[in-house]
Amino acid sequence: MDLQSIEHGRTDQIVSQFLLKTLHIVLESRVPSFRPGPLGSHQVKKSDKWFNLALGERPTAFDGLNFWHRNLMEPMVIDIILVQGQNGSGYGALVETVIERWVVQYEYSRVSQSSESYKKTYKKSIILLRSLYAMMRLLPAYWAYRSKAKGKACDFDISYKVSSFSVPFTRSEEQVMKLYSFFPVEAQHGRLSVSVRYRESLSDFNLESSALCPPEIITDYVGSPATDPFRAFPTSFPVRRPHSWTSGGQFTSQNPFPPAYHSSSGRYDLSSSPAASSYDGYGQRTTRPPTRHSFDDSPPFSPSPPTYLNMQSRPVSIPNPLITRTPRYLSPNLSDPNRHSLPPLSPRSTRSSHESSPAIRSLKKSEMSRVGDLSSGSTNHKVSKDDSGRFSGLLSSSGSPRIGFSRSSSRLSLQDELDDIDFSCPFIVDDVDTCDSPVSQSGKKSQDAAVGALVRMLRTAPPLRQDSSCCSEAEAQSNGGNTSGLFMSRKTSDALEELKSYTGIKHLILSKSKHTL
Amino acid sequence: MNCEVCQLKELDVEYFEIREVLRCILHTIFFHRALGLVRPKDVDLTLFEITYVQCGDAELEKKVDEKIDQFIDRVEKHPNKKNQICLSFFEVKNKQATWFTHKVEHLYWEQWYINLNVAHHPKPHSGKSHHSKLVLDPGESASDERNARRATLESSLHEVLFQIIKFVNEKKDHIPPIPNKEGVSFPYEITISSSSDSAFGMDMFKRMLQTGHPTMLS
Repeated sequence: MDLQSIEHGRTDQIVSQFLLKTLHIVLESRVPSFRPGPLGSHQVKKSDKWFNLALGERPTAFDGLNFWHRNLMEPMVIDIILVQGQNGSGYGALVETVIERWVVQYEYSRVSQSSESYKKTYKKSIILLRSLYAMMRLLPAYWAYRSKAKGKACDFDISYKVSSFSVPFTRSEEQVMKLYSFFPVEAQHGRLSVSVRYRESLSDFNLESSALCPPEIITDYVGSPATDPFRAFPTSFPVRRPHSWTSGGQFTSQNPFPPAYHSSSGRYDLSSSPAASSYDGYGQRTTRPPTRHSFDDSPPFSPSPPTYLNMQSRPVSIPNPLITRTPRYLSPNLSDPNRHSLPPLSPRSTRSSHESSPAIRSLKKSEMSRVGDLSSGSTNHKVSKDDSGRFSGLLSSSGSPRIGFSRSSSRLSLQDELDDIDFSCPFIVDDVDTCDSPVSQSGKKSQDAAVGALVRMLRTAPPLRQDSSCCSEAEAQSNGGNTSGLFMSRKTSDALEELKSYTGIKHLILSKSKHTL
Repeated sequence: MNCEVCQLKELDVEYFEIREVLRCILHTIFFHRALGLVRPKDVDLTLFEITYVQCGDAELEKKVDEKIDQFIDRVEKHPNKKNQICLSFFEVKNKQATWFTHKVEHLYWEQWYINLNVAHHPKPHSGKSHHSKLVLDPGESASDERNARRATLESSLHEVLFQIIKFVNEKKDHIPPIPNKEGVSFPYEITISSSSDSAFGMDMFKRMLQTGHPTMLS
């Protein structure tokens, strides 16, 4: 390999790692679930050595993501989105506002613009990333992140989206945003640029922590299988809140239905999804073959697999929330005063948080069909029945959007050469570490707990014969249904099937309970 | 090699704010000059809504605090003066040892001047009559004034941090090769001076001569 191609290859590798590191820096200081543990406690990982900035373990979400920057020349746009419920509207929409837009780009030029060797580029990138890290803490959005990260009950959520394009801001939006551009880093065939448009002030959003609801941890938070798996995932760590969105008083107790989630189709584009790259709209094929991670591979996301038990605790048969919803919509808290029509979780069922009973799942789906569909924006996803695999992929509260990174053979061949570099440049990216999928463990959930939960749900469902004691207990423990569950579109035929199975089970259990009485 | 000099915006601080302000500024600079492997450490200021980043080196933290203590002592001894901290990074050039000299030359390649204007406030225990009057009669306007002053300082401190980030990114060519060590990558020194010193200007002048920065010699 001649010198020029080595130089080129190394520059490409540096650029690729730079993009990944930038993404890590931005998300770990805006998305609470990305935040690693105490930094002093972890061993230095290979990813830490890149740019000499140890950020701790990359979220497992990174590993399974397709880092779509197969084409390094495409910009990486990271939107930090503030999600709030609309005031005064019980059935209101969730308002999303982009409070920061980071654009990281390798502005490639065929003609060699500078004589910068990859070593100098690397050294300058180190400094740029330090500045980026410091800057993340100086911008207004940092305090919103801190509120969320502290686990305070907040009336907002922070979501994110990563893509190669972005819907341009409206004029009014641009007027309230400020632009900051870092001084670019020269490379041999271009330059690395990082810039951000950010809202100067977040006072308009009245970001407050609610004192009403103590934060709780939803240990078994799961995203919705029926929602677009490629959407930006809610970024907050699963927090068990008794009221979810109701804590802020934005949704009245009379509203049994979760607020509709509207998203513009461009907002959660599928470009961030591995499987959707074929129709991401750019029509750009990459120069390197992407490594795709199908959700069916049960990516090793740490959060538990889907548990509908959480959803059972919701006031209404809340359909599986869209991924972007915060976990707090799925509060399984037994003392949730907002839950009224769904039974409280039994202790057993709460413990077996890794359930993914198909029966329960099907029940949930039927409920969803009753509640109705809501436009979920991008509709290119298919609702798959194989939810366990997909769900596990969605589980990570830090999970989506999926941005994996593809590996090319050319990188592997550089390993030995890079090891020889005398400046502190780490070598190639490690192979992705995989761990046991939580899905396989979830299969061992207690059947009894599932049936018990089912029974409670059936008992409190309107058409069923209601046991007064059970109802009052459920109502006492659940609050007015101001959940902010989200709807998603379902095929009618699927829903009917589910309803039939639901009805069948209902009859079965009713008949059994008649015997026992 | 040229020496890049950065004069940071002057800050009007009160006595009790010195430590936090200096820690914030110095550590932000050091974070950009500790180019070996670091585990960044976020630190929240208590007096301001600002979070700065340390490079996580305990030794450096200790040295910085020592210097700040020295600065505070100096401020106490020389009140009502403009005070300056100069953080310099240099390369060590060993001059050939002769019978008479064994000099080690410092070749400065970067200098940061932190300018603080410390408002003179008598210490709580001074017990002077005019001071006690001040204390006993704060009034709403004084409190508003204090808040306004605090907000201005916070904003100025923000500006200084932005100034540092801008400078470190625009000027990179003068940085020597990064040695493979943890903590601050380059030898540095922190010197303190006040406007009343005859040496205040001389120190700066000396360094300018040493570094041979062309613009400084005009």
